[in-house]
Parts: sequence; C-alpha cells; structure tokens
Amino acid sequence: MITRVTDNMKFDMLNNSISNTQTQYSELMEKLATEKQVNKPSDDPLGMGKILDYRAVKSYTSHYEKRVEESKSWIDLTESKLSSVNDILNQIRETAISQSSATASESTRQIAADSLQPLIDQLRSLANSKFGDRYLFSGTKTDTEPFSATESAARIDAPVNASGNTYTGTVSEAGTYTGATNKTYVVKIVAGGTLGSATYQVSSDSGKTWVGVPTVLASGSNTLGDGISLTFPPGTFAANDSFSVNAYAPGYYNGNGEELSVEVGKDVAINYSITGEAAFTARGSGTVDIFKTLNDLKTALQNNDAEGIRNQLDPLQEAGDQITRYTAKCGTRVNSLDISDTVLKDLDTRLTGLTSNIEDADVVALMTAFKMKEIALQACYEMAGNLGNISIINFIK
Amino acid sequence: MGDIGRVLNTTKEAILSHLTALNVTGSNVANVNTPGYSRLRPAFGSIGVIGSSTNDVQLGVKIVEIERLYDKYLEVQLVQQEQDTGNNQARMDLLNNVEGIFNESTGGGINDLLSQFWGAWSQLSSNPSGTAERDNLVSISQSLASMFSQKANDLINIQSDTNAAISDSVTELNKYLDEMVDLNNKVVQTEISGGSAASSRDQRAELLRKISQIIDVNYYEESNGSLNIFISNGKSLVEGTNVWKLDVKTNPENSNYYDIVFEDTPDEAINERLTSGKLAGMLDVRDTKISGYLNDLDQMASTIVTNVNTQHRSGYDLNKNIGGDFFSPARIESPVVASGNTYAATVAADGTYTGTTNKTYTVKIVTGGALGAATYKVSSDGGTTWGAVQTIPVGGTITPGDGINLTFPPDTFATNDVFSVKAGCFAKDMQVNSTIVDDAGKIAASATVNNGDGDNAGSINAIKDSLLMGGGISSIDNFYQSLVASVGNDVADAKRILDHQTAVMNQLESQKEAVSGVSIDEEMLNLIKYQAGYNAAARMCGVVNQMMDVLINLGKE
Repeated sequence: MITRVTDNMKFDMLNNSISNTQTQYSELMEKLATEKQVNKPSDDPLGMGKILDYRAVKSYTSHYEKRVEESKSWIDLTESKLSSVNDILNQIRETAISQSSATASESTRQIAADSLQPLIDQLRSLANSKFGDRYLFSGTKTDTEPFSATESAARIDAPVNASGNTYTGTVSEAGTYTGATNKTYVVKIVAGGTLGSATYQVSSDSGKTWVGVPTVLASGSNTLGDGISLTFPPGTFAANDSFSVNAYAPGYYNGNGEELSVEVGKDVAINYSITGEAAFTARGSGTVDIFKTLNDLKTALQNNDAEGIRNQLDPLQEAGDQITRYTAKCGTRVNSLDISDTVLKDLDTRLTGLTSNIEDADVVALMTAFKMKEIALQACYEMAGNLGNISIINFIK
Repeated sequence: MGDIGRVLNTTKEAILSHLTALNVTGSNVANVNTPGYSRLRPAFGSIGVIGSSTNDVQLGVKIVEIERLYDKYLEVQLVQQEQDTGNNQARMDLLNNVEGIFNESTGGGINDLLSQFWGAWSQLSSNPSGTAERDNLVSISQSLASMFSQKANDLINIQSDTNAAISDSVTELNKYLDEMVDLNNKVVQTEISGGSAASSRDQRAELLRKISQIIDVNYYEESNGSLNIFISNGKSLVEGTNVWKLDVKTNPENSNYYDIVFEDTPDEAINERLTSGKLAGMLDVRDTKISGYLNDLDQMASTIVTNVNTQHRSGYDLNKNIGGDFFSPARIESPVVASGNTYAATVAADGTYTGTTNKTYTVKIVTGGALGAATYKVSSDGGTTWGAVQTIPVGGTITPGDGINLTFPPDTFATNDVFSVKAGCFAKDMQVNSTIVDDAGKIAASATVNNGDGDNAGSINAIKDSLLMGGGISSIDNFYQSLVASVGNDVADAKRILDHQTAVMNQLESQKEAVSGVSIDEEMLNLIKYQAGYNAAARMCGVVNQMMDVLINLGKE
C-alpha cells in the first residue's frame, strides 16, 4: 500500500496506462483491419502452426483435384476413341459376315476389300490419337506413334547415346530380338574408363531396375539379353553415361506395355492410360492383334477366299470384346476418380472451415473490446488534461 | 537570567535555519523531475538549554542534518529487477525481429513456397514432357531456394547486429564503471571530511541501476561509503577506486562472434557467468535461440536437397540422360582453427561430401609434434564421441570421413589443438543447380528412359509425405510449421515475462517514489511553514531591536 503520492507517480502511472492501452488498442485495430485473430506467430503459436498445416494440405488437395481432372480428361478421350474403334469394328464385322456367306461374289468382295482400307486407316488414326502432344496408346513412349501401317518383323533400333554422355562413339547393335513384347534396354556405365575397364549394368525395363552386378565392358560385342548385343568403338566412358536401345516384337505396335500413372492422393496412385499393346495387340495382356486381323481379312477379301474371311470372324468378335473390355475399364476408372474427387472436395471444404475457426476474428467481440479500449483511452486523456489543474499552487496567494 | 544578546542570537539562528530549510525546499522543487533524486528533509534541532533554576531558556535552533530519504532495501530489489527486465527487454526486442522473419500469416513464405514446390512436381508428373510445367517448376524451386537463403541470411543479420550490440553494451558498461569509480571517490572524499554526499549517492544509485540493466551484479557498500561491485563468479568490476573493465574477443569456433572477457584475462570467456541483464539476454538469443532456428532451417534445407537430389538421380531427363543433382549439392566449408592453437599454418579442406545430414567434423590433436609424428582423433558429432587415435601422415592429408579431405601444411602441432570443418547443405547456400536452370529439359521427371511417364516427378512429390525430420517423426512441412509455432511461443513467452516484470518494476518504482520522490503539495506546505517561521523570527528580531533602542536610550534625559 502506497501512502505517499508524489507528482511523478501520477504522471508515470498515467504514462504507463496510456501506453498499455494504446498497445492493446492498436492490436485490436490490426485484428479488425485484417479480420484475422492470428496476425503473427506469437498471437497463437499453436494455432499458427495449424493454420500453416491446413494451408499446405489445402494446396496439396487442390493439386490432387487438378490431377484428377487431368486424368479424367485423358480417360474420357480414351473412352471416346475406343468406342469409335468399336463402332468401326462392328461395321467391319457386318461386312465380313455378309461377305463370308455364299451369296457374296468376287466382285462384292473386291468392293468390300476396297472399302475396308479407309476403315483400317481410320482405325489406325484413332489408335494413333493424341492428348495434347502425347500419344494416348503408346504406353510410356508417349512421343512415339504407336501403330505403323505395315507389319514388320522383330527388329532392334540403333542405340541412342544420351545427350550428356562423355562417350561419343557410335554404338552398333546386332542380333535378332527374341522378346515377346516391345522393350527398351538401357545400358548404364557404373564406373568410368575405357573398354576393358569401364563397367556397366543393364536394365530391360526402360531403366527402372538394374539387373546383376556391374560387368566389365568388352571391346567386342556385349550381350544385353533377348538376343540383343551392342558393340562399342574405343573411347572413354564416364560414370552415368547411358545408352538406350528400343527393340520390337513382330507386328504393327511401336509403343510399350507400361501404363501411365499419377498420384491423386497421399499414396493413392491411379493408372490412367490404356496401352495400345493391351487394347490392339495379342501381346502382353492383349489377346487379339486387331490390325493383323483386319489386314488378313482384307487379303482374304481381295483373294476372294471365303474360308479366309470366315476364319477372321471369331478374331473380329474377340477384337470387339477386347475393345469393349477396355472401354468398360475406362468407365470404372472414371468412377473411382469421381469418388476421389468428392473426397478431395469434401476435405477442401472442411479445411476451409478448420482454418477459419482458428484464423478468423469474431468481429462482434472484437468491436466490443475495441469500443471498451476507446473509452479507456478517452478516460486516460481526460485525466491527463486535468492532472495539472488541481494543485495546491492554485490556492496559495 | 535573561540576556538580550542571547535573544538576538537565538533569533539569528532561527532566521538562518529557516533560510536553510527554504533552500532545501527550493532544491526539492527544482529537482522534481531529476531521475534518481532522493528528496531532502531538513531536521531542526534545538541547541541546548541554559540555566539551572526556574529561568531555564532554550538557546536556539539549528539544522542538525539534511536527511536524504532513501530505502536501501528497496534499492536492492530495484537493482535485481533491472537485471531481469534488461534481460527480457533485450530478448523481446530481438525475438520480435525474428518473429517478423517467420511471420507467414499473410502467406508468401517458406510454407507457401514449399506447397507450391511439391505441387509443381505433382503437376509435372501428370505431363512430364510439358515445357510450361518444367519452367514453372524451375522458377518455383528458385524462389524456394532463395527464400531459404534469404531467411537464413536475415537470421544471420540479426545475429551479427546482436553481436555489434553486445560490443556496444560492453563499451557502455565500461563507461559506467569509470563513472562509478569517480562517484565512489567523490562519496568517500566528501564524507571523510564530514560533508553530505547526497547528490553523489543519488547519482551512484542511478548508475548502479544502469549497470545492472546490462549485467547481473552483486554489490555491497564499505564502511567508508565506497560501493564494490562484482559479477556472479565473484570477480570484481569495481572495488573502491579500482576498476576491472570488460572486453569482447572474437571466437572463431562460434562464427567469429564476440565472447565477453575481462580486459586482463582475454582468454577466459565469461559468457556462461552472465545469467541476467541485457548482455546475457543478447548472448542467449544470439547463441541459443537464433542458432537453433538457423540449425532447424539448415536441417530442412539439407533434407530437401539430399532427398530431392537422390530421387532426381534415379530418373531420366527429356534427353534420356540419367538425372543429375536438382539442387546444388552439399559442400565442405573452410576449416575453422581454434583460437588457442599452437599450429598456425592454413588448413585446407576439399573432397566431395557424401554425408546425408549436416555434420561438423572435429579433429583434435592427441599428442603434439610434426607431420608424421603427431596423433589425432576425430569426432563427427561435435565432440561427444571420438574415433580411434591415428597418426597424421607425412603428406599431411587426413580423411576424417564422409569424403572430406583435410590437408595440413608442415608445422608443429601441440596437444589439444582443435580443427573443425562443417559440411552439408545449408539454408543460406541453397540454390537450384545451374544446369537445371539453364535447361529445364534436364529435370528428370520420368522413371524410364522413354520419358513418357511422370513417375519420378511423382516420387519427388511423395517426399513431402515422408517422415524425414526430427528423427523420423515429422514431415518437412510439419517440421517447418512446428518451427514457426516455436518461434511464436518464444516471443509470446518473452512478452508475457516482460509484461510481468514491467509491472513489478512499476510497482517498485512507485514504492521508491513514495519514499524518495518529491511531492509539490508537500513542498508548498513546507514553504508556507518555513516562510512563517522565517517571518516570525524576523519579527522577533525587530522586537529585540526596539528593546535594544529602549535600553540604549534609558540613560538619556
């Protein structure tokens, strides 16, 4: 208890009160102006941490939503292309059935054969459709046109030096490809050096996994597998120099059997592409080679070969089934993406709510507090104005 | 027996005493706004009694003492409180600056950029050949990297500003210590000759409070009136008229920041001895708080760089190359030589750092000698555990670990010479690899050489969900969010403590004012009182004068 009050005490007290009130007043003003409860970490340290967390998750959610949208567009396009393919296949099948009957003649078959070619071309163009600048049906080789017009035998492309390689020699390939599906072999230099000292590893799945221990690079031919061997002219290799070789099984297909996938949630990846291998060839998970069937049909029609035409009826049926199966698969994927989309949108709404609970100011409560501070401040000023008025000096003559 | 001369003398004393009293009142009024001024009070005392019978007469009055109203126990509390308030005020001011760096309430900080960074990888994963996606990723990664280095540099700036402020405070303190010696001298000299050193004592009390704002001190007053001040380890700052000044000395083992030392023992840092006051607050913020935040940022930067680079190296770019480093990889900093070392040649560090976290390798000489004879041991955890003792080869190059090479030119080592080298990815150096910046096609978005898939970009995006921080308990994002929360907590704590201490301080100040402060009302009343006394005495003087006249004229006709 203070019994003796001096002038300094009065002024100091007033000074402190005014500065405290001013501080609180301006804090309230900031909250009112931003309409936010938390304007700096120390306002609510835990809340700030949560706000940042919610903001980050919200940002990821919006990205996942975009991925869902993009994959859906891809699948929608795939579905529509496949259903057009199906329409054409039905049309061809009708022609084939009618031309396989005894009523058909050589001339009708000739006409049918002539009209078949544009349909095959149309079908090939559907199978070579793009989404933006990426081919829909070439697996992960999205920059390679998946289907050629003519059938080719098993073949091995010239090896490609990666652009950043130290080694600049022209690598030559040899052998006959014996693989069942199209593959890309990759040779990676593990330890640099020259022929006879540099070591390498081989991948048969486009460079995802590496088989075996590093082997010394021989000056003659080096066997990769599936009948492929490479010969390197002398030169110096650096670690991580890489060479890739595309090898193709016989047929029309130039893509590969790997589906494209994207993450649409934490640990939730979906495959959104259908490979040409599965939908149009008899390799990999496919059962019937559609282009071969159509070309065989065309040959049979041209040759007026009723037996040959009939032989293609079952494969044509299977081709239709194969396409329908993948059209249905598209539908299933869209459904599951729709579910993901709903979950993500729901999460987004809830995050907005949660953030708002912590971050947003209760304007009514703030306004009330603000008014109270205003009154306190006014009282302080009033006091300050009158402090000098009352003094014993006024009463001493 | 009455004596008219005595009456006149009494009157004179009354006039003079009241004049003195008025003088004291005047000086109280004059010093109403002087900080540290303790009000004075004249103590009137009667001068003896004469006579032995019924005619006893008071002889007169004098000012026995001019009392300085002062509570020394309150002063002790005030000095103590000044230390704590000074300490927390310094912490609060600095942490407020730090909070500004981590304030992300409006977005646009590391948290936002991190989300955008991971988002850009996600975007690239769905269209790995897209040029726009690649360019976007490069620009966001550059923003993220420069945001990391900017925040780290901001923190380092606050550290070095604090460092400069520490040096300034030491200079200020030394000036106060000199003044303290002066005042001690004045008090002792004045009081030895029986004078009143009230004003010097007031100044000294005020000075003591200024000193204790800077450093925590204990003090006692000697019988001759001089004040002795010493710090918590018992070492004196001021003893009578002797002074031991402080100094600052750069410490190479602490980023060349200042240690606080005594001028006469420059090799003995007393940082740990300071527990309160502004200096201790600044040292704590510089060496513990900000260092801690910086370390957290470095850990994050290191985790992002290491993990993104590792994943990036397992993918393929648009030109079928195996991916390189996405961010500039870890580096080895220049070795730091401890200040007390005997070995004086310049040590060089090189090599390619292969560690996955930031480390400081410490090399300690076990037995001294030349190259080929001296032995050493190595610690990679800042000196907690040590490896086997080995001999430094004649060539002078040793390999402490993780691909670091240290080369010592010929010179002689002494036992306990210490060298340390820091290696890793630090927030302040974070940047996107220049090859990626030059050619966004070098981003290894695909897991296969055919580069149609975005699986590697997807895997990099998934790094955000891995629990890579804090020993596998939190994701990079969450780690940063906790960092912001802990900065907020530190500031809120400092603010709360400071508010409390300010309140206590105000209370103590009021109590001190109640004892020592000047009240105008009181002084005005005293003025009236003393004026009345003076007037009465003067009137008395007139009366005695008339009586003298009567007496002198008594013999006349």
